[in-house]
Amino acid sequence: MIYKIIEKWALEDLFEGLRANYDEVVGPQPSKGHGGPALVFDKLTNFNDLRLDYDTTILPPKKYFLNPDERILRFNRSTGDVFDTEPVQISRAIFGMHPCDINALLLLDQIFLGDYVDPYYQAARKSTFIIGTSCMPSPGHICNAFGSDEVHRGFDLFLTDLGDRYFLSCATVPAAELVDKYLDAREPVAADISDFQARTRQFKAAFKYLPQMDQLPLLYGAKYEDEDLWNQIGDDCLSCGACSMVCPVCHCFDVRDKLDANGETGLRHRVWDSCNFSEFAEVAHDYNFRPTHTSRVRYRFFHKFVGNFTRNGKMLCVGCSRCNRACKVGITPARVIRALQEDANANVGAETPDSADTVSAKKDCA
Amino acid sequence: MSAAIHNHGSSLKPAYPRAIVLSLASDFGCQLQLSNIADLLDVLGTIKLEYWQLMSSAVLPADYDIAIIEGAVTTQDHIELLQQVRTVAQTIIAIGSCAITGGVPALAAQDLGKHVQAVYSDDADRVAAGRVRPAPISNYVAVDYLVAGCPIDPREFVTVLQGALLGVRQRQQREPLCAQCKTMEAPCFYSIRAAQDIADGMATPQALCLGLVTRTGCGALCITRGRPCTGCRGIAADANLSSARTFIANEGLDVDDFDDALRIYSSHALDDGGEEQ
Ligand code: SF4
Ligand code: SF4
Ligand code: SF4
Ligand code: SF4
Repeated sequence: MIYKIIEKWALEDLFEGLRANYDEVVGPQPSKGHGGPALVFDKLTNFNDLRLDYDTTILPPKKYFLNPDERILRFNRSTGDVFDTEPVQISRAIFGMHPCDINALLLLDQIFLGDYVDPYYQAARKSTFIIGTSCMPSPGHICNAFGSDEVHRGFDLFLTDLGDRYFLSCATVPAAELVDKYLDAREPVAADISDFQARTRQFKAAFKYLPQMDQLPLLYGAKYEDEDLWNQIGDDCLSCGACSMVCPVCHCFDVRDKLDANGETGLRHRVWDSCNFSEFAEVAHDYNFRPTHTSRVRYRFFHKFVGNFTRNGKMLCVGCSRCNRACKVGITPARVIRALQEDANANVGAETPDSADTVSAKKDCA
Repeated sequence: MSAAIHNHGSSLKPAYPRAIVLSLASDFGCQLQLSNIADLLDVLGTIKLEYWQLMSSAVLPADYDIAIIEGAVTTQDHIELLQQVRTVAQTIIAIGSCAITGGVPALAAQDLGKHVQAVYSDDADRVAAGRVRPAPISNYVAVDYLVAGCPIDPREFVTVLQGALLGVRQRQQREPLCAQCKTMEAPCFYSIRAAQDIADGMATPQALCLGLVTRTGCGALCITRGRPCTGCRGIAADANLSSARTFIANEGLDVDDFDDALRIYSSHALDDGGEEQ
């Protein structure tokens, strides 16, 4: 790692440097949709659209690595021909990924670059340059509970905001070259490091609520059959799947075939899926092993907090808060954790985020 | 290989299954959408279109393989026609919300006599003879394939038709629309409303988005064009109406308004409970 300091105004030089070297530069900016306060990652053509001090976006940058609708192959029923879709990948720089989202990408790496390498994911990963950026937690962000509030790999360049300047961490050779060529950067001095430490203290202190994580996987298993606990959450679920779509670590997909109008040729594609859809667990003879809202909600968080944890040592949540905003009925990781930690006998109510926080967290986007 | 029907294990029919397009009570909008199919000639290369009310004055043939039906059932004649079609056609494809949910025509189902009286007064029995409570066609005959929407999306029709020709069971997504809305990265109308309330310091009137209980599949067509979902595809099979109503109430909105908005396309499901009349 190489550390540098740049002035804030130099950010535009970085942007121009990226534009000169990558087919596309994307970053958080106001949604061009039908208004509202929402931010999205989108192509940046104008530096002034970039909002580096953003809270969160509707979709995470996952969409650049797992296409919501990936064409896998085309086929011809008459001839039996199959034409694989080769991963075509433009070179892309993502400007402004938060630590949680970079940590989420590292989790996806375990899944898509592990025992079975996914060629589409791999191609996207190889041709993407990542610039991380520091953040300040708003209510609802619980990355601290999952250790994903800090990130030490998985990016090329990381910018920590020190008010009037940025503290740069260059993790890769392309990053160092970029900084060298386009930026008027200097070495950090003691005052910079001291400011960095002060900023880190301020950041850690800004988390108002830390879910009580003690023995969570064990408690989950032990309370798995607690109907009351799960119905209280599951009865609310709209089975809409919005939570899975916006989650930077949810990664399930469905593979579908679609015939063209001529009935002979067609397309096989894979699209984002959710275990909160009732079709997800439906098998032959219309048997469904998770037929109720409750059984699906219980399963979704089980996979996150227990399934992947026992297999890969990591929970499939980075506490990014996107599902808090997307879920209209308040089914959040914090709520599930709180329900699991509640102990009627000991009367140790786990800490609760104050209700004003919960409400305001819902007002932002998604 | 020919595009033969072998639906539900029945025997192979010759190439070019014969299709008819029928209309019951509707505004013909879905039929019109059929003429908007971009690859219409390709489609016509896979079927033999024997009858299409909107396009020609030919008479309904005695024999055919596929019946594509638009519109709600509103008369005794409709019921008899449907029952006749069901004995002939191997496959019935219902298109559009009128056919699938009863749609807008079904709005008249409550107090039907009063509505008829109001419109036709003393002439009611002559003009609206043989009327029945408006209902989806599935109230009277089994339907094999559905194309939802008001009007239907021609591309979706093509996909469903080709599946029907192959005889594969239709995949019915049961979840509501929100996942597609989020995948399109549209901000939720409810959060926009809340944010505006904060900005203005007062409640802003905001149309209700019905996407949270509406059958998915349109790709959040209206929402991505800046309009809340009006529920034209009908209520999703997995919709959680009671939780949705609680949410609406918690938002400070009127649950009756929500139900009334849903009634535009789903009054039959809400008020007649989908029961046969
Ligand atoms: S479960 Fe929710 S908080 Fe956790 S990573 Fe997914 S969207 Fe973010
Ligand atoms: S938890 Fe919330 S966002 Fe997820 S499917 Fe249920 S209602 Fe939708
Ligand atoms: S309620 Fe409507 S706007 Fe909100 S997420 Fe669902 S479909 Fe989208
Ligand atoms: S958004 Fe709603 S009203 Fe619009 S096409 Fe889709 S289902 Fe119909």
